[in-house]
Amino acid sequence: MRITLHVARDLLREALARNWVLGLLVGITLVLTVLGLFLRLDVVDGAIAGSKLFGAMLFDDIVSTDKAMRPVYMVAAGIGFFGGAMFLAVACSDFAPSLLSPGRIEHLLSLPVSRWQLLLGTYLGVLALSALCTAYGALGITLVFGFKTGFWTTALLGGSLLGVAGFCALYAAMLTSALFVRSAAASSAVGLLVLVMGILASARAPIEETLEPGLGRTLFHYGVQPFPRLWKLAEQCIRLAGDENFNPGLTARLVAGSLIFSLGMLAIAAWRFEKKDF
Amino acid sequence: MTAIQATGLSKSFPRLFGEPQPALRALTLSIPRGSAFGLIGPNGAGKTTFIKLLLGVARPSGGEVQVLGSTPEDRAVRARIGYLPERLHLPDAWTPLQFLASVARLKNVPVEPPLLERVGLGEATHRKIGGFSKGMRQRLGLAIALLGKPELLILDEPTDGIDPLGRVEVRRILLEEKARGATVLLNSHLLAETERVCDRVGILHLGRLVREGTLQSLTAQREGWVVKFTGGGDPAACGFVPHADRWTFDRPDVEALNAALGKAREGGAWVTEVLPRAFDLEDVLAEATR
Repeated sequence: MRITLHVARDLLREALARNWVLGLLVGITLVLTVLGLFLRLDVVDGAIAGSKLFGAMLFDDIVSTDKAMRPVYMVAAGIGFFGGAMFLAVACSDFAPSLLSPGRIEHLLSLPVSRWQLLLGTYLGVLALSALCTAYGALGITLVFGFKTGFWTTALLGGSLLGVAGFCALYAAMLTSALFVRSAAASSAVGLLVLVMGILASARAPIEETLEPGLGRTLFHYGVQPFPRLWKLAEQCIRLAGDENFNPGLTARLVAGSLIFSLGMLAIAAWRFEKKDF
Repeated sequence: MTAIQATGLSKSFPRLFGEPQPALRALTLSIPRGSAFGLIGPNGAGKTTFIKLLLGVARPSGGEVQVLGSTPEDRAVRARIGYLPERLHLPDAWTPLQFLASVARLKNVPVEPPLLERVGLGEATHRKIGGFSKGMRQRLGLAIALLGKPELLILDEPTDGIDPLGRVEVRRILLEEKARGATVLLNSHLLAETERVCDRVGILHLGRLVREGTLQSLTAQREGWVVKFTGGGDPAACGFVPHADRWTFDRPDVEALNAALGKAREGGAWVTEVLPRAFDLEDVLAEATR
């Protein structure tokens, strides 16, 4: 495990030196700074009396703080889940192809490192990176609104963890695809495809009803079955962030689905990696 | 004691259409511990494939290979090998010290900053690798290969991109490593470098080991003569081949040489110098791969 963690740590360090990661962190910091400096919330006795951004009035209804904050956190969770997944699917697409690039993979394999350790280390490193980015954004929003309104909640941080649970399925498929075709574009496309299939898998029953019985419906039924239900997971992430009808049992099953899909993908990746000549 | 023992080693790469492409064909080779072995051959001869099989980066299609007494899959064995690939990929945003530390952690050996000084990167320890020249990158690769005092050094074109003075330094380091007792496997297109560092040489051609032996035994063959003529005549008609300002005679037997010389003299040529033809590694390679 020590070597796996070294590989993950090295990947994280390499990622943090890349421009796009710095760009993402700077972007999140800018949004948080704008919210922190230019959003004015007038809180009176636990209720928001008015809110202004850059001095312009946004709302002047008197709403209790927790009620007012719910939709904000829900929107943030939704954007974080889908926006984060899409951004990371593109931004992290280069890691596995770069790991497998000539001159690098031969050197890594010449070291006393197992192939599965390299694979797992890369996977964990990317997951740690996604957790770091989403946790940074979620923590920042929680702190900004917490200080401004006095309403403190860890719900958005919990939601960010569900976002990472969803992304782990995407990246497992991306990593596996890179072992078959060493291409960042293909890897990214596979990640986005899993996201789309995960959304379709969440609405399998209603979509099936719209299809004529026969081959098409059967293909759709079995085609989307292996994919984790990512839309449902996003829904629970949003509900958790907004503290609204969150279902822990269903969420546990959805997270388990995402993890099982990831493990399946990683098993294929490990099999392929062990067999592959470089 | 052998450092590398390959027996009937073969490797073919599958192709989408048609027969698999053979890269190594039944190679049998033994490299003694503590020796410096030079692997030479034209492009596509199978040298890099052989190195990949030694490191477990690729798996053999047939035969077997033992490295330091075990298989390349054995992680404990790989910890005792230092390897410099032909084109080492380096993280541009890191410093050499950071990269050295990272590889040291993976090899589970202590970080050795003096290694950077040894390869001539003492001044660049804290500079970003992204700003390094090709030669500096190669020096860093060499430092990485030397980490942990490996028992076997496998170097693929170690002086590629390094300036002539740097090459002398690299050669000195390789000789020091050999003196320490390490086995050196050198794959280089620079034959002069191989001649200066290695005591044994193997020539690969089309996946086959076509020559193997000590440098002396390979180059000491007198398979011909070099003759200098003055005057007229037509030495070419007597079996001599023009070579710069001299003529070569490719048959080794003295009787044939004297007969040809006699014929040339009859034609009006004067013999001013006759020397046995001294073969260097370039001649051996050309002859072996002809």
